[in-house]
Amino acid sequence: MLCEECNNREARFAVTMNVNGESVVRHLCPECMRAMNANMRGGNIAGVLSAILSAITAGEGMRRPEMREKEPAEQLPDITCQRCGTTYVQFRKSGRLGCPGCYEAFREQLRPMLQQVSGGAQHAGRRPLETLEAQRTRSRQEELTRLMQQAVALEDFETAALLRDQIHALAEEGGADA
Amino acid sequence: MNHPAVLSSRVRLARNYEDLPFDAHRPGVAETCVSRTANALALSGEDRGFALLTMASLGEDRRDALVESRMISRELAASPDSAVLLQEDDRLSVMMGEEDHLRIQAITDGLSLDEAAARCFAVEDALSRHVRFAFDDQLGYLTACPTDTGTGMRASLLMHLPMLAHHKQMGSVSSIAAKVGLNARGYYGEGNEALGDIYQISNQITLGRTEAEVIATVTALGEQLSETEAELRRNALAERRTATEDKIFRAWGILMNARLLPLKEFYSLWSALRLGAVLGLVPVSPESLDSLPVEVQDAHLRAYNEKPLTGEDLDAARAARVQSVIRAAKR
Ligand SMILES: [Zn+2]
Ligand SMILES: [Zn+2]
Repeated sequence: MLCEECNNREARFAVTMNVNGESVVRHLCPECMRAMNANMRGGNIAGVLSAILSAITAGEGMRRPEMREKEPAEQLPDITCQRCGTTYVQFRKSGRLGCPGCYEAFREQLRPMLQQVSGGAQHAGRRPLETLEAQRTRSRQEELTRLMQQAVALEDFETAALLRDQIHALAEEGGADA
Repeated sequence: MNHPAVLSSRVRLARNYEDLPFDAHRPGVAETCVSRTANALALSGEDRGFALLTMASLGEDRRDALVESRMISRELAASPDSAVLLQEDDRLSVMMGEEDHLRIQAITDGLSLDEAAARCFAVEDALSRHVRFAFDDQLGYLTACPTDTGTGMRASLLMHLPMLAHHKQMGSVSSIAAKVGLNARGYYGEGNEALGDIYQISNQITLGRTEAEVIATVTALGEQLSETEAELRRNALAERRTATEDKIFRAWGILMNARLLPLKEFYSLWSALRLGAVLGLVPVSPESLDSLPVEVQDAHLRAYNEKPLTGEDLDAARAARVQSVIRAAKR
């Protein structure tokens, strides 16, 4: 299958995104995948959005991504949160969990859903009362780890090795401070 | 760089108490949220300047006015046991007993999400020294709706985008925004409407990215839309000057002379006038017009005139209010 972004190279990644509440799968080549990741992370939307201006002058709108077919009705598991009594079926109806304990009770069911919405299911932001400096070091570390995993997936081992060295250096720096 | 298309920035944090069910309509939940939060803020010594307002104690008009100026949500206004800790002049509020136990929110002028976030975090830190929020190492801050978990943060910009709307490009903008985990939609009106060409840009994704990354992404989209808008404005003046001026001067004429001004008509005239102000074609600054869409809402007009206005009287009060604001702003 060809990459849906460039229609040129072979697609090797399937990315699930949330578009106006609908899940959309896009198939991308490593090059477009890398570009999209860079845009998402660095907040560099300029590249993506410059397309708007050219679309206006060319007098054509942007292509809308294809929607995936709705999945057949699934059998919902019979689970109840022991703390608040909310059942998984109730949650699926309302979209609202009953209490913080529901996250533990429905952890396995929530995981794929969160993965789909966010693309990754590991919290990267603030923690209660974490100092700004500690957060910066931690998020830099996580960022580098993410980049390294991505480089490995893209078979860019040279970059992966450089990133691994940076992660070690950062860890030693943090250790020396403590 | 100046971004006249950005009207305001807003950051909102969702936080929940570890030991309480989410549903604030359950007996005692909202009351516990209110007393616990107010106590924690008082203990931290950061409560100066905050007024504690319970929804049951506020009249309907006062609640509606707070919703119109975005200080509280419609949902909060509708729950009598809920309350808000409010610094109205600084547009800082802590809603208690909403969908989540707490919604800490700050609104700032122009493109300033960092500042809005810093003000929310200061309140959150003060509270965190005395209470425990539901937090999970993997999922971050736990929220009533799992799609808010993680940072629990929504960062949004209110933008005036008349040229992009005129060129019917906002559909493309929202689908492009969705590609980078953002949402772009009309702020006033039903369904797909965007009255006054006012749009809200916000993050959809709360898990897996830091607050700083999210703010950088929303800010970048805001800047890019603002620059695109500026480019289209320049084109309009260069290529369609007479038609552009005609639309703006007509709006000026009607706004300054109408005796009755229904809300929907106001929005479209306001949009043309503000475009004229950004282009320097009318003798008022864009900033002087920014508060008008809120000032001419029903509850604001009733409060301003100290009268329970309805129907045609509201439309008359709206016309008068618009004219007095524009006259005061005239250079
Ligand atoms: Zn490609
Ligand atoms: Zn529960």
